[in-house]
Parts: sequence; C-alpha cells; structure tokens
Amino acid sequence: MAEQLTGAQILCRALLREKVEVLWGYPGGAIMPFYHALPEHPDLRHVLVRHEQAAAHAADGYARATGRPGVCVATSGPGATNLVTGIATAHMDNTPLVAITGQVPRAMIGRDAFQETDIIGITQPITKHSRLVEDVEELADAVHEAFAVACEGRPGPVLLDVPKDVQNQKLEWKDGMTEGRKDTTPRHFGVPSSSQFAVVEAARLIARAERPLIMAGHGVILSGAYAELRELAERTGSPVITTLLGISAFPESHPLHLGMPGMHGEVHVNRAIQQADLIIGVGLRFDDRVTGNLAAFARGAKVIHIELDPSEIGKNVPVTVGLVGDARAILRALLDAVEPRHCDGWRAEIESFVRPRVESFKGGLSPDGILAALEECTAGRCTIVSDVGQHQMWVAKLFRYQRPNTHITSGGLGTMGFAVPAAMGVALGRPDEPVWAISGDGGFQMNLQEIATMVQERIPVKMAIFNNGYLGMVRQWQQFFHGRRYSATPIWSPDYVGLAGAYGIPGFRVERAEQVDGVVRAALAHDGPALVEFLIEQEANVFPMIPPGASLSEPIESEAVTV
Amino acid sequence: MTTTMPRAVTVLLEDRLITFNRAVGLIRRRNLPVRSIAVGPTVTPGVSRLTIMIQSDEATAERAVQQLQKVVGVRAATAFPARDGVTRELALVKVRATGDRYGELLDVVQLYHASVVDDDPEATIVELTGSEAFVLSCIRALERFEILEVARSGAVALEAGLTEAGASAPANI
Repeated sequence: MAEQLTGAQILCRALLREKVEVLWGYPGGAIMPFYHALPEHPDLRHVLVRHEQAAAHAADGYARATGRPGVCVATSGPGATNLVTGIATAHMDNTPLVAITGQVPRAMIGRDAFQETDIIGITQPITKHSRLVEDVEELADAVHEAFAVACEGRPGPVLLDVPKDVQNQKLEWKDGMTEGRKDTTPRHFGVPSSSQFAVVEAARLIARAERPLIMAGHGVILSGAYAELRELAERTGSPVITTLLGISAFPESHPLHLGMPGMHGEVHVNRAIQQADLIIGVGLRFDDRVTGNLAAFARGAKVIHIELDPSEIGKNVPVTVGLVGDARAILRALLDAVEPRHCDGWRAEIESFVRPRVESFKGGLSPDGILAALEECTAGRCTIVSDVGQHQMWVAKLFRYQRPNTHITSGGLGTMGFAVPAAMGVALGRPDEPVWAISGDGGFQMNLQEIATMVQERIPVKMAIFNNGYLGMVRQWQQFFHGRRYSATPIWSPDYVGLAGAYGIPGFRVERAEQVDGVVRAALAHDGPALVEFLIEQEANVFPMIPPGASLSEPIESEAVTV
Repeated sequence: MTTTMPRAVTVLLEDRLITFNRAVGLIRRRNLPVRSIAVGPTVTPGVSRLTIMIQSDEATAERAVQQLQKVVGVRAATAFPARDGVTRELALVKVRATGDRYGELLDVVQLYHASVVDDDPEATIVELTGSEAFVLSCIRALERFEILEVARSGAVALEAGLTEAGASAPANI
C-alpha cells in the first residue's frame, strides 16, 4: 500500500529536498496544515518571528550570508501582506528568497473570504516569479521551480501561494516525486555568454586607457568573483571603487582600493569617476545614488559594463562595450585577454584629490571611534548588518572591510528596520563569527520586537543603536534643503538598557569615547544577544553629500554650505 | 538609431491569465509608451501571441524585449519598427444610416474596401481592416453618419522576411 501524504507533508519533503535548514515564519489559519506537518520534519528548523516582515528580512539576511535561498512562511491575508516590504527589499538587492504563503481554500478564492488577499497580484512587481498552487499534483514541482527560479541567473524572490485545501489534499507518495523540476518550459534566465569579440574589444579599451577605474557592485559578491576582481585590478593597475552593495568585494587595505562612490562618496572617489577615461563596471546597475546627475556622470569615460542581466546594460549609462554574463566567468575571460600594465601616475593623481574628511562631530561620541573599536575587538572577524540612514553611511565608510561579503545592508530599497531581523538570518548562516546589527534609533524601533525571537531561539546578534534623537538622515536633508525645519524628525526613544533588561539580555549605554572599547568587549563576551546604545552627537552630518539631482562634481563638504 | 517611431513588440507566452498579467504588468511598471495591445492564440496549443504597439526609440524597445524575456512563461519576445513589417488592426463600427443616407454609407464602405457584417434596420455594423492610419481615416469617413459604437482590436504585426524568431521557432509564429 503506497503512502498517502498531505500537501503539507509533500511541501515539507520538497523543502528538505532543496536542502532547506531553516524557515522563518508565523502561523495562522490558512497555513495551519503546513504547521501541523512541520513537527514531523525535525530537520526543518522553524524560527517563530514576532512580525512577518522580520521573517522575510531574516530569510534575506540568511541568503545574503550563505548564498543559499532563504525561506519565509506566512499565513494568508495580513500574514502575507506583512511580508511585502521584505520581499521588495530582496527584489531590489537580488537576494534568492522563497516566500510561502497560505491562501484561503480554492473554492473561496475571489469571494473576499476572511483573510483573503490577492498576494500574487500584490507581489507581482516585486517578485521574480510567483505561483498559486492549484492542485497538490503540482506542489512538489512548484517548490522546485521556485528554488530554481530564485537562484538561477540574477537571483530574486519567488512567492508560492498554497491554498489551505491543497495543503490538506492527499496524494499517493511516489519515490522521486520531489526529485526535481518536471516543467521543462524554456526560461531566459540562463546566461548567454558574451562574444569573444566583445571581450577582445574590452581588453583593447583597457590597454589604451590612461585613467581606468573599476566600479564593483553586488554582482561581484553574488558570483564570488573576489580573486578575479583583485587580479584584474592588480594586472591593469586600475583603482577599485565599491558601491554600497559592493563593499567587501575588494579588500579595503589594498593600495588600489578607493572607497564608495555617489551621494555620500568621498570627494576623491567621485572626482576619480569624473576624471576617468575608462570605467569598468562589474555587477552593478549604475543606480542614481551612484551616478548623481546622469548627464554629467563620467563624461570623459568609455564604459565597459559586465552584467548578468542584459536589460541592465545601457539602462542608465551609455555603454561602449557590454559583456553579458556571470561576473566571475566574464572576468576570467577578460583576464585571458588583458596584458599587465601600470597606472601609477593615475593612482597618484587620485591621491592628490583626497581631502581631509570634514569632521562633522564637535567632540561628542562619534562613529569613527565606535567602528574602530569594533574592528579592533573582533580583529576584523565579524559581519556587520546595517540599517538605513546616517549610520548606514558611516558603517559603509568607516569600517575597513577585508573579508568578502562581511557588509550587509538594504541598498536598493533602503528599508529602515532591516538590520535587526536580517542580522538574525546572517547569524544563523554564519554561526562562527559575531554578527552586529547596527541601526539608528529610528530603524531600531521599527523591528525591535525581534529581540524576543533572538531570545527564544538563542540567536546571538549583537545590536548597536546609534542614537542621536533624530531621524538623522531626514534631519540632515531638512537642514540643507528645507531650511532647518525639523518636521517630524525628533524621535523619542525608550530606555534601551531597561528594554534589554525586559527581554532578559545584557544592555549597555555608551556616552563617552573611553567607554566604547570595554562595552564592545563585554557585548562580544556574552554568549547570546546583547544590546549597546551609543549616544552619538545629535546633529552630526554625513559628509560629503551630493545634493539630489546634482552631479558628482558638486559635493557639499561642510556645514557652511547653504543650498 | 534613437528615432522615436511606432514599433511592434511581439511576445510568445503561455496562454494563462497570470502570464499575460505578468507581461502587461511589466509594460505598465516600466512605463512604456503603449499605443495598443492585442492578444490571441497561436498554432501552438497553450501558446498565445501578444502584440504591443509602442511609440519609442530602439533602445527602449530592446530593453522591453530583454525584460519581457525574463518573465516566467514568456517563450520569446522581439521588437521591430512597424515600417519593417505588416501591421493590421480590425475595427467594427456600428453606425446609424437610415433612409437616403444608407446608400451613401454603402459608398463609403466600398471606397474603403470595408464590408457590412450586420444590417439591422436601425444600426449597421461595418468591418474594416488595415493599418492604424487606414482604420482611423475610415472611421473619420464614417463620422458623417451617426457612429453608435466602435470596437477596435488593437494592432497585430509580423516582421517582413525570414526573421530570427521565425527561424528558431517556426511553429510558434
């Protein structure tokens, strides 16, 4: 007698077949059959979050840390809609994510049933693919398709909507049922390799360039092209710029490393872009925060764009040679065609652009010291997950990232509240090193409920709050672009040390520079989550800053400027 | 190369509403300058053909093709300037032309190689087929009568000659 399984059981087996280790989720009516089956599969670790948004961010963090798809689970209706911000975050930053949502029974779909939402419709613009599973027969295949689509080519989130009655539907189990995808419909995520002609043309541009620059983005990290990137930089003498999501793709102690470009890039980095005669873009999409005013971006430069997604080539910046493919494979092909050369004069010229960093801090606790202490106390062995705002820029610029993929942040969507839940995913993906979630006082308060998840599940995230009593980045914009009218940016915080106490974890408050080192060490020494509040100067600014819409040649470098 | 002109973006895709929804949703999200959209079956069971007429430069059309090709369920997508192929749309125009004016209507119908496909005493339905410009001029000619209703199909288009899409998947076109 063949084994009869429910859809829920088949779903669990299919997830195991996909080597899923951890699910982030929250139960509810329409996903209850799945939760009923879950305890029969102890190899699927389920982490109960306190809000579904955190489930999506945690799955995203896990995927960014491990390179394997993260999985989140929610019920229909509000459970599903709470995932939306997390799915959109993963979509903008190309994280492989599989979101599984319960749906009302098939017969009730379209009747505005209790907790029914059209989550397929809602998430269509922010998923790579989504599918309503209409029968248990197609469930296993749908799961494998979801994982395949999430990972292949340019990664992204996939949503599977599984009606409750499909989870309860019985099916005779057959060996090999979850072997892999049966659907062989051709898709276009496969990577077309660029012609050898284009590679030779790119090599010729590199040989002729006198002021070449490499701009490395997230694609380098996604394809693990660290060694190839470094070799190209060293062989051609090209200085390397790393975008916000490209940070840690290239060791920051390397003499060819320049820093982050764009809106909050250092003056010499942006000036190098404006002076370059060749830009080799690797795995980036020339986002507006990187380019500033497009019409004035790198006007003297030819552009080689190495990118997995052909629709990105020429989207924002005119490209001289486009090389479509996986960054690592393309860089290898390019290395075979590129002759060794030096650009010492150019590197020295860029050095002459360097300005002393304007210290916006007037003597209070500053992020420099905090990040220096983190670096020293961990000997650089930690992963930093940042939130969104001023602290995000400080974290991006002031820590010297040496090891690949040790800086994780929400770049494209700029999701406040990302750091704390995403860091839980990073921590489970990287159990062997400390993981710091650094937030502002605004972003931290968006998802602080997840401390409870960390405690219940023993997830040892170290949380740092850069507390300046303001929604700092908005306040900074108000200072420069809205006549210092601080509308709705002063923000009250609870007693964070007391809050930590309420959750039963160690909490520390740091007000003076000399306390930083000791507190960081104490937080690291504790075996479990810990919280550190840094009371930083209230009205410090992130400098330099390119005003929105301005070109990279027009930075604001000090308080003295009025716009 | 960057001239803005009428272009056809044609897409072969699974004939499921969700796939159609995805493709059209993408066109909306990317803010394409759409003039018309038409969809219908192909000779391959389970595959539909979607024709989107846009007014754009070549780069915009090519990027739309690349983005459409990423949609799960899309088999093939291509774009070409309307002038490099044949573009046709169909219109049904319901007009009231009674008494003396009926003969006048038949003259217009003949002039435009259109045909009368329904002849209710109170309302005549005229069918016309041609390029967008032809259809528009014919509708304009019918405006001298009382137009009660117009149904236009949106344009379908085929690129002239042996094309790349045709060479690789003849059964689908």
